[in-house]
Amino acid sequence: MSTVTIRIPMPLRNYTNGADEVKVQAATVGEALQFLGANHDGILSRVLSPEGELRQFVNVFVGSQNVRALGGLATPLAEGQVISIIPAVAGGATRARDVRLMQLKSVIPEVTPGEALAMQAGGAALVDVREQDEISQGSPPGAMRLGRGYLELRIEDAVPDFDRPVVTLCNGGVRSLFAAEDLRRLGYRKVFSMAGGFSRWKNEGLPIEIPPRLDAPTRERYSRHLLMPEVGEAGQMRLMQSRVLLIGAGGLGSPAAYYLAAAGVGTLGVVDHDVVDRSNLQRQILHTDARVGTSKVSSARQTLEALNPAVKVVGYEAHLESRNVEEIFSGFDLVVDGSDNFPTRYLVNDACVKLGLPNVHGSVYRFEGQVTVFWPKYSRQRGPCYRCLYPEPPPAEFAPSCAEAGVLGVLPGVIGLLQATEAVKILLGIGEPLVGRLLYFDGLRGAFTELALDRDPKCRYCGDNARFPGYVDYERFCANVAA
Amino acid sequence: MATLQLSGELKARIENLVRTGYPHETCGLLIGRQANGTVSVTEALAARNLNRERARDRFELDPQAFLDADRHARDTGQEVVGIWHSHPDHPARPSEIDRSLAWPGWSYVILSVSRDGIQDFRSWRLAGNRFEEEVIAP
Repeated sequence: MSTVTIRIPMPLRNYTNGADEVKVQAATVGEALQFLGANHDGILSRVLSPEGELRQFVNVFVGSQNVRALGGLATPLAEGQVISIIPAVAGGATRARDVRLMQLKSVIPEVTPGEALAMQAGGAALVDVREQDEISQGSPPGAMRLGRGYLELRIEDAVPDFDRPVVTLCNGGVRSLFAAEDLRRLGYRKVFSMAGGFSRWKNEGLPIEIPPRLDAPTRERYSRHLLMPEVGEAGQMRLMQSRVLLIGAGGLGSPAAYYLAAAGVGTLGVVDHDVVDRSNLQRQILHTDARVGTSKVSSARQTLEALNPAVKVVGYEAHLESRNVEEIFSGFDLVVDGSDNFPTRYLVNDACVKLGLPNVHGSVYRFEGQVTVFWPKYSRQRGPCYRCLYPEPPPAEFAPSCAEAGVLGVLPGVIGLLQATEAVKILLGIGEPLVGRLLYFDGLRGAFTELALDRDPKCRYCGDNARFPGYVDYERFCANVAA
Repeated sequence: MATLQLSGELKARIENLVRTGYPHETCGLLIGRQANGTVSVTEALAARNLNRERARDRFELDPQAFLDADRHARDTGQEVVGIWHSHPDHPARPSEIDRSLAWPGWSYVILSVSRDGIQDFRSWRLAGNRFEEEVIAP
């Protein structure tokens, strides 16, 4: 037991009848404070928490040393020592955002970077909401870099499941709180904000990756895309990593492939077994007069690579059949069907349904054309497949080909570019794809009409309980009905 | 209403510290005596703001500075009678943060400062759980 002096700061002197010092006998700092509390009602609760620990806003010094740096309340005392109770003095200008942040912190659970990493490994979505220039300095591997500005518009495509845990992160842990709240409002049920943000993630030595950036000539080429936040650098890179398969390098495939190459779609597959005919040149703009008689695939490659050397053209000079369809389709993100015959349309449909690929379908007839997207696997809306609409092919006399009926040369340009537009939208995950809707264009009237397409829940290929029934002999399937 | 007696010289000293510290929050202690509702300030000390991360809108006074000031005050028969701090680009009234962290029995001098200099200079005192303004007299 030592006799020590406790110095009382002015804000606490109303508990000590104005005394600025109290002498007590105690062996430790904790004992001294308890003694003080026993003799001066109410003072202890200002200094210690209900759990008996030093309050956050109080410092206790023994001599000139803070007891937090010594042994805490167990710090032993020597005869004659002086204990000072020092009210922590703090404050600051509260801005509206601080009040708001305090509210947010009370409702949004925060996790440490380490916890966020573990949650990501367990299936949570880690969403980086920082700006592009911050992300270019590094970002957690596998994080979804959706940006803050378009977060609400993009999150549903990236995270369709509202019960999947989502951890937002920014640079310091503030913007991520706002982002987390927005996600909760959208309906996400398990949203967390990463405290300390990316700077703490980095300081704790957690893994980072530097996302690839576009080089200067590439930025120049796609500058009009980069200006649009819906595309931006991330979107452009997505296009450059995308693989689109074009069925046919003819009237529809030509304009679609031409613009997709210009847009920077990284890999364009072209399936066509035909050679260029002079009669094709009225509309099939990939080909030239000098290439009449050469293969359409090689002619397409020449034109596309001349426009954009960065695009990889993968040619398939083959007839698309049941036995090669999956081998050709595998690895592509999307199929643009510009075929002109029913056996191929059914085959393309069946393979796309089986592989879950979006099938951007177009067709033309004289002055008219139509475009839609068959994509039963689309996460936001269950649309039909081609077979929901046409379980069987129409009789031949109802479906003449261009060779039989003729076509206005510019018409496939309109429809092929609508297909290309749908393809780019789907690759970027923006806008409303033409799923469950068919856009019909009447060139003579100069009018578009939109038709709703319903899926058939009993469809043998994409219906509710459908199991893929297998490929069929498409030539015979179509010939039988036509006969 | 309590009165804070602060000489022009001390006022100028605090203003100078606040202007120099802008855009960061600066803080310090007031030493003097108080009796009968009047606080007479004899010294204004500067203290380190421990909150480096948010020095633009937070202050957290170094407890060592308080200990030193308190010792000095006691040695000269005085006491710590208040705190001064700045609100950069913000009015000179106590914020919600100030209120929640304030102690009774002290004067809280708050200066509003902008890039153009001192905008306002006021003093407050906790009464119950709200702040009341004090008169500042030379």
